[in-house]
Amino acid sequence: MARLKGGYNIGLAGRPSSRVVDLPVPSRLVLPLASRCFRFGDIRVEEGARVSAGTVLATDPTRFSAPLIAAYGGTVRLDRVADHLILESLDEAPPGGLSGSDSAAPPGAASGSQADARDRLVSLGAWPFITDARTDLPVDPAATANDVIVSTVHLEPFVASADALLKGRLDSFVRGLEHLHELTQGGTVHVAVADDAGFATELAGLIAEHSWCRLHTVVARYPFGHPLLILRALGLGRDPKRPVWAIRTAGVLAIERALSSGAPGVERLIALGGPAVSEPVHLKAVVGYPIDEILENRLCGDDVRVISGGIFTGSDVSPGQSGLDAECEGLTVLRELGERHMLSFAMPGLSRSSYGRTFVSRLCPGGPPERLNTSLAGELRACVSCGQCIDVCPVGILPSVIHKFLHADEIDEVERMRVDLCIECGLCSYVCPSKIELLSDMCDARRLIREEHEAQKKMELKAKLEEEKRLAAKEALAAEEEATA
Amino acid sequence: MKLILTLLDKTRPLFQEGGRFAALKPIYDAADAFLFSPLTRTSRAPHVRDPLDVKRYMSTVIIAIAPCLLAAIHFFGLRVLAMVLVSYAAGGAVEVLLAMFKKEEINEGLLVTGMLFPLILPPGLPLWMVALGSAFGVLVGKELFGGTGRNLFNPALIGRVFLALSYPRAMSAGWIEPGQGLVGRALEYATDAVTMATPLAAAKSGTWAALPKLFFGNVTGSVGETSALAVLIGGAFLLIIGIANWRTVAAMLGTFVIVTAGIYSGDPHAIIWHLLSGGLLFGAFFMATDPVSSPIMNSAKWVYGAIIGIATALIRNFTGYVEGVMFAILLGNIFAPVLDELFVTAHVRRLREEG
Ligand code: SF4
Ligand code: SF4
Repeated sequence: MARLKGGYNIGLAGRPSSRVVDLPVPSRLVLPLASRCFRFGDIRVEEGARVSAGTVLATDPTRFSAPLIAAYGGTVRLDRVADHLILESLDEAPPGGLSGSDSAAPPGAASGSQADARDRLVSLGAWPFITDARTDLPVDPAATANDVIVSTVHLEPFVASADALLKGRLDSFVRGLEHLHELTQGGTVHVAVADDAGFATELAGLIAEHSWCRLHTVVARYPFGHPLLILRALGLGRDPKRPVWAIRTAGVLAIERALSSGAPGVERLIALGGPAVSEPVHLKAVVGYPIDEILENRLCGDDVRVISGGIFTGSDVSPGQSGLDAECEGLTVLRELGERHMLSFAMPGLSRSSYGRTFVSRLCPGGPPERLNTSLAGELRACVSCGQCIDVCPVGILPSVIHKFLHADEIDEVERMRVDLCIECGLCSYVCPSKIELLSDMCDARRLIREEHEAQKKMELKAKLEEEKRLAAKEALAAEEEATA
Repeated sequence: MKLILTLLDKTRPLFQEGGRFAALKPIYDAADAFLFSPLTRTSRAPHVRDPLDVKRYMSTVIIAIAPCLLAAIHFFGLRVLAMVLVSYAAGGAVEVLLAMFKKEEINEGLLVTGMLFPLILPPGLPLWMVALGSAFGVLVGKELFGGTGRNLFNPALIGRVFLALSYPRAMSAGWIEPGQGLVGRALEYATDAVTMATPLAAAKSGTWAALPKLFFGNVTGSVGETSALAVLIGGAFLLIIGIANWRTVAAMLGTFVIVTAGIYSGDPHAIIWHLLSGGLLFGAFFMATDPVSSPIMNSAKWVYGAIIGIATALIRNFTGYVEGVMFAILLGNIFAPVLDELFVTAHVRRLREEG
């Protein structure tokens, strides 16, 4: 695999230990009807209905009817919290009929045709774990691929770590890889493993006899686990028509569970970390688990920001208003910035963790990670051309240049600068001393270019239709003339 | 500390829209932001940010210049401090007026420009000329040639060129005999400016200053440039903490040495002498590395440094000018956008092949 460039691991305090805590049955489930990829618009249950564990509560009609599944039996409440479906008075049974008692498919139904397997994955909610490596969106259940990139390199602070996910489950993981190989009708499975992963040697031994499975070691530096980077580094990106799937550790395990035991994918192993968490650990929870109940007695401080996902790409959630969505891999909690510090820019910075070398802490690396809060850590300024965003960018584009072109409205130049390669890792915004929102700029630029292309396509289509119409009219006229003649 | 914070909070309404001193808002904001870290929170991902900000970035440059400033005070007296203060005051006034006029914030870049500018002037220059040059540098060099972060030329150099063209006599007669001994002139204020030859000028007529004098800075020359030792200390600091790009420095000094070696057929004494004399080292570490007026790509910085290094050696030895660094850097500044275009285009083309 080609060497990756850029990237950076920030020294953020509150890294979750690999201890896994089982959460108790919650008081209720708060199921988000929208997540990053899905919009469960088609609600299949009625207000007040009593449903059992494993019931499909809603589906996303726009994406292969992906289901939203009840982890526990309970009473349905609609319209209590905007954009959420609530289940109250929950059964005390194990989540989602994990024992297989109540699931949509009989347990142990591992055999069966390809189509069966795909149907089962869709109906059990495990299919959405498979994404298109290029677009990062779920793939169509009818599609197939030549290659699958399995990334076990989860480096964003903080999402569930592969070490925690795979503890005692390596065999299941390998069975999951076998399923992927079958699902792609013999596709190559590329497994990316961080160079500091504890399970690497054992995994290598387990897959040694599978010639279709390749192990790739990746430097453990954010965001090197991103499937798109691995895809490009493997040279799979050259042929844009060659379909490549991507899947992460949790997805492989969910697929294995669905196909081997017929259990729906409602359980999630998430990370709970960040400087405002009193004891950072991994948690076993279910989709819809209320976030305020997860955080109860686990925080230090009141004025905090709860982020679903990591601090680079996650989004804030209001704990009282939401539950875990199906795509959540971790909750990161930061203290909100509350006080001002005198002349802090001039301090030596013994405990600051910074990308550059301007803090004294650089002299003694390996110090304790920093208790960063939500401070912007400076004022917005014009770009000083320090070049840090360029250095850190893992895809080798020039964020500061794109920023300047974007604000000069030179969208063609922005396109020429290959903003399309951006994987939205957010490192450029993080390191910028001028506090420029480069990540938003990259997203805006990509959106603008997409819109422009679509508009252009529409125009072309329209022109083509008109041309056809004109030709048809001309032909008709000619025919008419012929007839009269 | 609490006290100052309360005071700032109490007086804030006076400077807001509709307040009595609303026009002075940029000054208030600058003071407020200088004394205390802001309360601004991140509003979107990423939710935390690196602790480095522009204030710290610029402050590190000030720290790096400090050895040069101390050496200058030692050799040329307290007058140097007055020059720095005047430069800050005049440049600052223009910056504040511009900020008030454009309703923008005051930029920290001034901290560096205001300090660098007096250090590249003859130490005996009248203070009003320092003020004029500093104001001109900020107004024309920074504002007219593109604005903050987009200025084509190094503003301090523009100020110096302006003075050199407007007051050539004063600029070539403003030298001060360097102080001797342990204390030097560090306790004197005014000394008469004299017309005397800088080492480079003297060398044209065949008198070569001794190397140790050049190294320690015990010669006439611009305020901050004479002591090679002080420049090297500050410059090394800048390279180590990564604020100055080492490629520019390496390319500039490397090519300078090669061309000089060619001219003096490899005479080591001449090469070292030229390296240490005049503003070469100061220019290499503090002026050519100005990121805004340099090209963006690291690869382009090699060429950029080479252009400056070669041009300096050629100007020094083959033209009527005794010192070539200033014009060489301005020449490099002119080439920077061209280099950017070439190297950025080549870079994105390579990205295309990667797919
Ligand atoms: S430009 Fe995109 S890929 Fe590069 S650092 Fe910024 S967000 Fe990451
Ligand atoms: S990190 Fe910020 S200040 Fe530095 S070059 Fe990039 S955009 Fe400019």
